[in-house]
Amino acid sequence: MYSLPFKEMTFFKVRYLLISFILFFVAILVFVISGLANGLSMNNASSIINMPAQSFYLQKSAEDRIDRSHLRVDLEKLTAKSEAQPIGIQMGAISKVNSEDKLDITFMAVQPGSFLDPAGQGLETREENAVFLDRSLSGTVKKGMIVEDARSGVSLKVAGFLDDQTFSHTPVALISLGTWGEIAGRSGKSEFNGIAISKENVRVKKEIASLMKNGEWVEKDQVVKGIPGYTAEQNSLYMMLSFLIVIAVFVLAAFFYIMTIQKTVQFGILKAIGAKSSQLVKSTIFQVIMLTIVSIAAAVAFTKGFMEILPDDIPFIFDFVQIAKFSGILFLVSIFGSLLSVLNIVKADPIQAMGRVE
Amino acid sequence: MMMEPLILEDVEKSFKDGDKVNHIVKNLSFRLKMCEVVAIVGPSGSGKSTFLSIAGALQSPDRGKVIINGTDIASFSDVEKANIRLNHLGYIFQTSNLVPYLKVEEQLSLVLKMANQWSKDSKRKVKAMLIAVEMEHRSKFYPHQLSGGERQRVAIARAFINAPEIILADEPTASLDSNRSIAIIELISNIVKEQNKSAIIVTHDEQILPLCDRIYVMRDGQLIEQGNRK
Repeated sequence: MYSLPFKEMTFFKVRYLLISFILFFVAILVFVISGLANGLSMNNASSIINMPAQSFYLQKSAEDRIDRSHLRVDLEKLTAKSEAQPIGIQMGAISKVNSEDKLDITFMAVQPGSFLDPAGQGLETREENAVFLDRSLSGTVKKGMIVEDARSGVSLKVAGFLDDQTFSHTPVALISLGTWGEIAGRSGKSEFNGIAISKENVRVKKEIASLMKNGEWVEKDQVVKGIPGYTAEQNSLYMMLSFLIVIAVFVLAAFFYIMTIQKTVQFGILKAIGAKSSQLVKSTIFQVIMLTIVSIAAAVAFTKGFMEILPDDIPFIFDFVQIAKFSGILFLVSIFGSLLSVLNIVKADPIQAMGRVE
Repeated sequence: MMMEPLILEDVEKSFKDGDKVNHIVKNLSFRLKMCEVVAIVGPSGSGKSTFLSIAGALQSPDRGKVIINGTDIASFSDVEKANIRLNHLGYIFQTSNLVPYLKVEEQLSLVLKMANQWSKDSKRKVKAMLIAVEMEHRSKFYPHQLSGGERQRVAIARAFINAPEIILADEPTASLDSNRSIAIIELISNIVKEQNKSAIIVTHDEQILPLCDRIYVMRDGQLIEQGNRK
């Protein structure tokens, strides 16, 4: 029986190619937008997303925004517990020595060698006031160069570059807690944005909360969403994605439906010579599955190629898990779209095949 | 006595037309004998097609018995009726109604495959059937490459391929010229006699009547016998 749907598809090539192309392009659009959403998300907040932290203790009035949160931390009491680490985040600018050009960055202060430190032991074995920069700045400044904090004038030595360290679309400048003290000045010396823990630990959470009364524990996902611009960006892209999928349901349903209507008489004939509805439904669903798999596979390949030719300054991430997820959704969508047609097949009346109905 | 492959007893079928009930077929009884070709004529709207669709297990009657090969199918489900169609009935339509994307030989093998009758012997069977309707030279052609008469020959071959006892033909000559019409009916008649089948032909075509064994007229939902050649 399965040769029947194949013979039909090869005989009506144009018709089936058209449907495959629609599916193909819808899938590409879905994949590309999801790739862009991913890319923007990483471009925006990779420092927090990649951070091996489970949750953050932030000031209550900050409403989950780590950049707004201010906590006065007793470092001596805190550093006794390595599982809870202070983190300082401060938007700022640096400039090369004797240069007017400023580079927007976000200072991020962590305890060198702690679980929060993406440079590993780098900061600890540092020379005075070492700074690690996001790799996006590697074209502008060189390793070993001295840069100045635009506000405090503190000199920093570029100790190296790190991958994927951004906060609110600016490159992160990773500094130690000591350097943080110098940049922040005397008043801000013991003021940090939050306390991070690497894994769920009720006892530590309680202790921190009793140490500083004006805060609350916030999950990492919430903190990422609280980064300026993050939610707005992701929401608009995901709105486009969800509309695209809804549109796909209707377009595909319409196409499959029109195709089935065209074939109603044919279904009638097949029924009259003894085909059962279930056989015809199976054969149609089989066609839909074949078309969908081929189109989506082609779209995945295309998206992969598209990513290669995309200029570097467009953030695009081909996340295989997410692509697989969206492929699954599109697959279900096209099966769903063909259900209307199934109804028509079941209703197709062999009497119509007799050419006239009284 | 030879078994009668099709018996209709006191069959009734009505349709609702607005708030009026229309009796299309009423108190209809009919017996089809082996090896005979029966023609049914009548004005349009007299119930010919309804009769054919009840006899052909496409519709169930409201009342009465439809006995095909000794089994009353009047209350069969759709799936059971599909099986009856597949194994005991062959259809020939007004237009050939071939499946557009299948080659001539595939039109025939499809029926066998659906009936799970496909075996090593089937290829030979398909070929023999195509020779019988003089279409063997066209076996690799698609329907759109054939003439109207040729397509109807293929349709006849398709109707006979699964060895059904009864052939139901609905205006099989409506789209053909008179020479071809006669040739087609002769072909049906010949196969019926050779293979011990029986056929019902619903038609408007007066010139084919002499080729049929019995002629019935459908009038007001009843079948009235008009002529008997025997």
